[in-house]
Amino acid sequence: MSRISTAQLAKYLLTGSITHRGCLHARFRMAATNRGFANDARVQRTTPTIPAVPFRKQLKDQNKADKASGNKRKKNVDNQTVPGWELTVGIEIHAQLNTNHKFFSPAATSFQDSPNRHVALFDLAVPGSQPLFQSETLIPAVRAAIALGCDIQTVSRFDRKHYFHWDQPSGYQITQYYHPFARDGRVSLYPRDGIAPADGDRVDIEIERVQLEQDTAKTTAIAGNVHWLDFNRVGVPLIEIITKPQIHHPATAAALVRKVQMLLAAVDACIFGMEAGGLRADVNVSVRRAGGAASPRTPLGTRTEIKNLSSFKAVEDAIIAERDRQIAILEAGGIVEGETRGWSLGSTETRRLRGKEGEVDYRYMPDPDLGPLVIADDLVARLADSMGILPDQEIDDLVGSYGLSTKDAMSLLTLDDGARVQYFYNVLDALEERLGLSHDASPASDQRHAQLAANWCLHELGKLTELSSDLAMTPDGECRVPSIDLAAILAHLHGRDITAKVAKELLWGVFRGEIPSGGVTQAIESNGLWFHELSEGEYADLADRVIQGEDKVLSEFLRFKQGKAKAYPQGKLMFLVGKMMRAGVEQRMDPSSAEKVMRARLESVYLPALEAS
Amino acid sequence: MSTRARPQGLRLRHVCQPTCHQRRYLNHFISKEAHTPIADTSPTAADTSPVSDVPPSTFTLAVKDNIATTSFPTTCASPFLANYRSPYEATIVSQLRARGARLVGTTNMDEFGMGSHSTHSVFGRVAQDPEGDIPAPADTSSLLSAGGSSGGSAVAVARGEADLALGTDTGGSVRLPAAYCSVVGFKPSYGMISRFGVVPYANSLDTVGFLAREVGRIRNLIVGDGSRPGLWTEHDPRDPTSLSSAARIRCADSREGYNSNTAGDSKRPADLLRGLRVGIPLEYNISELDPGIRESWARVAAMLQSSVGVRAVPVSLPTTRHALAAYYVIAPAEASSNLAKYDGIRYGARATTTITTEDGNTTTASDASEGGVLYAASRAAGFGAEVKRRILLGAYTLSAAAMDNYFLQAQRVRRLVRRDFDRVFALANPLHDGDKDQQQEEQQFDLSDLDERIPMADKRGPEEEVDFLLCPTAPTPPPMLGEVMEKEKNPVEAYMNDVFTVPASLAGLPAVSVPVSVQGGGTGRRGAAGLQLIGQYWDDARLLGVAEALVEVLREEGMGR
Repeated sequence: MSRISTAQLAKYLLTGSITHRGCLHARFRMAATNRGFANDARVQRTTPTIPAVPFRKQLKDQNKADKASGNKRKKNVDNQTVPGWELTVGIEIHAQLNTNHKFFSPAATSFQDSPNRHVALFDLAVPGSQPLFQSETLIPAVRAAIALGCDIQTVSRFDRKHYFHWDQPSGYQITQYYHPFARDGRVSLYPRDGIAPADGDRVDIEIERVQLEQDTAKTTAIAGNVHWLDFNRVGVPLIEIITKPQIHHPATAAALVRKVQMLLAAVDACIFGMEAGGLRADVNVSVRRAGGAASPRTPLGTRTEIKNLSSFKAVEDAIIAERDRQIAILEAGGIVEGETRGWSLGSTETRRLRGKEGEVDYRYMPDPDLGPLVIADDLVARLADSMGILPDQEIDDLVGSYGLSTKDAMSLLTLDDGARVQYFYNVLDALEERLGLSHDASPASDQRHAQLAANWCLHELGKLTELSSDLAMTPDGECRVPSIDLAAILAHLHGRDITAKVAKELLWGVFRGEIPSGGVTQAIESNGLWFHELSEGEYADLADRVIQGEDKVLSEFLRFKQGKAKAYPQGKLMFLVGKMMRAGVEQRMDPSSAEKVMRARLESVYLPALEAS
Repeated sequence: MSTRARPQGLRLRHVCQPTCHQRRYLNHFISKEAHTPIADTSPTAADTSPVSDVPPSTFTLAVKDNIATTSFPTTCASPFLANYRSPYEATIVSQLRARGARLVGTTNMDEFGMGSHSTHSVFGRVAQDPEGDIPAPADTSSLLSAGGSSGGSAVAVARGEADLALGTDTGGSVRLPAAYCSVVGFKPSYGMISRFGVVPYANSLDTVGFLAREVGRIRNLIVGDGSRPGLWTEHDPRDPTSLSSAARIRCADSREGYNSNTAGDSKRPADLLRGLRVGIPLEYNISELDPGIRESWARVAAMLQSSVGVRAVPVSLPTTRHALAAYYVIAPAEASSNLAKYDGIRYGARATTTITTEDGNTTTASDASEGGVLYAASRAAGFGAEVKRRILLGAYTLSAAAMDNYFLQAQRVRRLVRRDFDRVFALANPLHDGDKDQQQEEQQFDLSDLDERIPMADKRGPEEEVDFLLCPTAPTPPPMLGEVMEKEKNPVEAYMNDVFTVPASLAGLPAVSVPVSVQGGGTGRRGAAGLQLIGQYWDDARLLGVAEALVEVLREEGMGR
């Protein structure tokens, strides 16, 4: 839970400066100290500006198109295996590292600024300019490799990968082909990560290597065969994560990509969710006949590579489509060609990009300007120590200590690139302070306030952005609804000082800026929103009033009591509660109190009377 | 002066001006100050900015046109960069300006430094004129080659148009033209002089080189002259291969000549040389060596031994025979990578040739963005023949199929070449761990790696370790341009000129070429040759001191130029 931002850690490790008050590990102080970075390029960049809507709309449109064309596909859930065939998949994942500067130049990495603002001589390959390795790149890179369980290599090297493209001004990309900086990692996947049922309770996927490389410039196509280039992105550091071909189900492949993203976000190593394009995956797909004659020694089938998949769904869909294409070819007696293929969202088939004969020889060459990269053990040890706990353990903690559902725990961890869970901790901290609770609660203790906080951080907060406004969540877990204000609302709600309905209105008020930060209680006071609940006697009077003339309903309860009906007539009870609510003053009533009183009156007064009669 | 405001007094050489016409047949400048007033102290109005902390100029400087200046275009003699102006200045140019250099122009060269005669230039070939001002002959093919690739810089210095000229030395590109033009050419230890702003040919071999008429001018700049610290002290954070300040001091601590400028001044030249052990590498006595040059080499060695008390020690550098081949694998490989940026997108003109594809359709190349045709057309139009040859060579040796047999083998040879040198020098190489004995011990295990044809005695190294190596700079005197053009039909033959200069480049060692007279006989033409002194890594200060003394002794003995 103690998570130190990459920028802070880089400052500490590389320049020895500590920008904190207090301890580096203090979980709840992070929020306050991190605000000092509000002007950092990094913070501006991580502010999500790409609303999730276009992607969702894309999916909707796709569904619509599917329905219209009448060829609604088999659901992926039911399409994980093909009898008689074994699928093998390896994945390469590219992710942008979270750094303030480019890989080999001191230019800033900011994607929000107008194009071509952050470009050093080397980024444009100006003749005579040379690469200058920015050592801060190592902080997020090594963190990522540790999170993926890799061995960090003491010595790694940089190579040039040559190909011509306008987004690559030097004619080559600097990468780590011969000697990557991390090897032999492992990612464990569980059913909660969304693996295929056939993979059982756990599947381990080995990471072959993690390498550092440069990003390319961004191309924007303009009408009339014109392309605009933005060199702000050129030279930004990426990591490429390459798994061994050990995945055998499409859902598991998607789960791996999702899990890797979650791990990278958890250690603050990378930026942007995959949906926003910060993480891209290439998949290698092959099939071979399963069972019978096939043994583990049977060579894998010819593989094809599908490039540039930018969402989890695309990974799963593309693998299914490519698997089915290869099986169809083989069953018809054909041969699968080793080739590179593409996939567009919503399509049903991968498409050929280039074949073996069109393959590029990248002519890898050690970069003669760059010496070896030496990563000392003490740096690795320091980074491992300061990383905080990883998502799997954090999910267990959230479920075990706070009683959240697994689904809610995972949602907290994945939303806003991991910032949502930080927000949750901030809210919980402030809430516990208000309620006078200590936050190292044992699993046995009452954690209803934590569940309440989680519920609001996920679901009520989520409702605010349904109309495409933005929460503006920062990496340190603050947003347009300050955590202290949500905590104030929840403290009043938890103490039954206000109703849930009022609490929701207050949340909107804070979100829209109508209630200033710190002004929640004042707003309740001045608008007379305090919850003056009816007394038990007043509830009982109401109950007695609405039960009059409902003999038929009462008989249902009697049938249950006498064992003539199996289920308690909850619906009838709620009908009576509804009547109570309408009969009374709504602002002073709580449905759950009304329900409790109604049920008690039935048990203690009306049913015995009915039985007696 | 700002990068934008170019003084009116400067204009481009290649925009032809009548004043330049007389010299055109030498063609050694690409850009030049138009008319230089005698007084350096009367700068143009643009130069009188009060913030200027540039000292008054004390010497004139010509810069090879692959080193970025903000005063002139930086063309690399390539069509791709014919109009390219660098947005910044190379570190070495700024360092020299701070030491009183006045830039007089940029010099002609082989395109991107690839060539041995300065004939592969988009601005035309360079020629030299050793006899002084002779009228331009009708047939320029009888003019002599200035050597390459820094031929323009060598001619500018030889003619007195610059006191100092910068070149670049990748495999001999400063030492060879210095030998041909009878001037001093110095290639420093790799990593001493910043390459920031030097357009790379082969980064792992490229060094900035210096040309002058006297060794002293170069030595004062490198070692320091009392008023300014030597260039050897200045680390450049913008060049990742520039030695760190700590490493510079550590290297210099194990060397003589850096702490004071005593090396050449306090002692008489003969005293400085007395007792030195100079190695004569036997493998350099090749059959292609011009008899006149061989005779000069032997005569100088004998004279040093008999009249100055230098001990001449025959040594063996067994890997020499493979060094040239290794060089012509490594350098083109790096070149093919470095030149990938010149594609007509960011640099150079976009070719718009109409081409006919296999299926008979015609398409305009600049629009054919798929399939790389866009780049192919621009690069086909934008590079000269020699550059294309080396790009193809490099692209091949780096290809997946050839990498192991060429590029990796060449890197192994490169290590062997360096080990050859480490074995014969008395000083240890400060870039390796341990002292000389430890290094020697480690090397014993590698004896079996050596070619089995090498006699065992040579594998163990010489009986006496040496301070410097003495050998010719080039195997022949400068050929006539007509001959050069003729030989270009067999381009690989020209690569032979680099045979004596390449080993020091592969090992990153300092080397200096000084002029020596060649007596009649041999080819008998003009009697110009260069003798090369090679030192152990970072022994530059002593090397320059010794070279200065050698020039003096040669003059005294009537063997200088």
